[in-house]
Amino acid sequence: MKDFARRMVGIDRRLIFLLVAVAVLFPLLRPFGLPIKISPEVNAVYDYIEALPERSVFLISFDFDPSSKPELEPQGIALLRHAFRKNLRIIGMTHWLTGTGLADSVFSKVAAEMGKERGKDYVFLGWSPGGGALIISLGQDLYKAFPSDYQKNPTHGMPVLEGVRNLRDVNYMVSLAAGGAGIEMWYVFGKDKYRFEMAGGSTGVIAPGLYPFLRSGQINGLIGGLQGAAEYETLIGQRGTATAGMDAQSATHFVIIVLVILCNVFYFVLRGEKGRSA
Amino acid sequence: MIFLKRQLPLAITFFMGTAFALQYYIPHPVSEDAITNVSKWMQIISGFALLLGIASLFHVHAVKIQRQVPGWGYSLVLYVAMLGTIAVGFWAHGETKVNGAQTGFGWMYDYTMVPLQGTMFSILAFFIASAAYRAFRARSREASVLLAAAVMVMMGRVPLGQFLAPWTWDVTQWLLNVLNSAVRRAILIGVSMGSVALSLKIILGIERSYLGGGKDQ
Repeated sequence: MKDFARRMVGIDRRLIFLLVAVAVLFPLLRPFGLPIKISPEVNAVYDYIEALPERSVFLISFDFDPSSKPELEPQGIALLRHAFRKNLRIIGMTHWLTGTGLADSVFSKVAAEMGKERGKDYVFLGWSPGGGALIISLGQDLYKAFPSDYQKNPTHGMPVLEGVRNLRDVNYMVSLAAGGAGIEMWYVFGKDKYRFEMAGGSTGVIAPGLYPFLRSGQINGLIGGLQGAAEYETLIGQRGTATAGMDAQSATHFVIIVLVILCNVFYFVLRGEKGRSA
Repeated sequence: MIFLKRQLPLAITFFMGTAFALQYYIPHPVSEDAITNVSKWMQIISGFALLLGIASLFHVHAVKIQRQVPGWGYSLVLYVAMLGTIAVGFWAHGETKVNGAQTGFGWMYDYTMVPLQGTMFSILAFFIASAAYRAFRARSREASVLLAAAVMVMMGRVPLGQFLAPWTWDVTQWLLNVLNSAVRRAILIGVSMGSVALSLKIILGIERSYLGGGKDQ
């Protein structure tokens, strides 16, 4: 038994890689289609958007780059579909230079799908440097912060921005964040001073760190990781890549749980062995 | 010279730090104009910081290539990739699309940067699984609690776990909303207090390491 345990503890890691690969691929090829439970924090974002009157101003900041695409792009798509369906005016932007192209293509794709027009129903402002300073600048005067949009069209006089001077005119804001320049920064430099309601969407890794902001009401909702994206897709009734990916994530989590438990059993069998040989 | 190197930067720091800490509480048009202009300056300075970063990256890797230190080939790849991207970017006037058609710059972004970054991040799943297998051990009571909490959250955050053990959902929600929030809040308050203390030290000229120049500063 000890020999087997010793062999298993030192197992070739390529075998673990293979198990993970199978756990990811199999459910993608043969989905289980398990039901998605809705958490109150995701429901809060949905309810807020649902309650906004038509042509309200919704700001969405794509604060991530392609490395977080699998988790945050489905969140962005689901939010845009919901906001377009509600006929909101959408302002998009990003704090991550390397995420600009990605964000623009998400906007173009969803807008085309929903029959919405750039400049009239939505505008993608693109990227500008500064982080917190950019948020302050937007809070003071949107047209000074972004004199033109990503397509180099002047922002002044755009129908989508009618009556919008700065962040105080934004009705709801969501930052989809993969790290530092994101939700926390939007709260500190934006919401706190310019008084708009906001929520966050984040990768699974940083979501637990945002719960204090959620509990204190600094953000009114939180979409966490692929699970959060799948919940939002379920809420809007349009299943996408997040729902499909949740089966793969389920299987991978279970492979890791089984591996960790097995390894602890093997270590238990081998307990004290190292001490005796030393 | 000492005035330019020491006293002037300290005076500017003191003035700007005090003025813009107070500005937050003064909603007068003059104060609002000041923050509008200063935030624009900060954006411009951030833009220059980007140039500084690129210059520094070029310098570090040029030295590695010149001295042929182990792994200098990777530096060469970085040089070729950066110069290639800059050249194609200038050629396409920084546009990813023109009249709906993708430019070379857009192609590089969609077919090199997006898949490369995605690949780098997805590889993590494999390494995390392997590392968890070897390192996630219940060696002590604390480690056992951590292990149990991790297993619970991993189950409660996926549909398969919610299906097999529905109670893990409620336990996960409680762990995230109560225990996790309390600890994170304590850390956040500590970090914020530290930031306030450090900012005050910089404004008052007690902390001067940002001036550079070693101990004589």
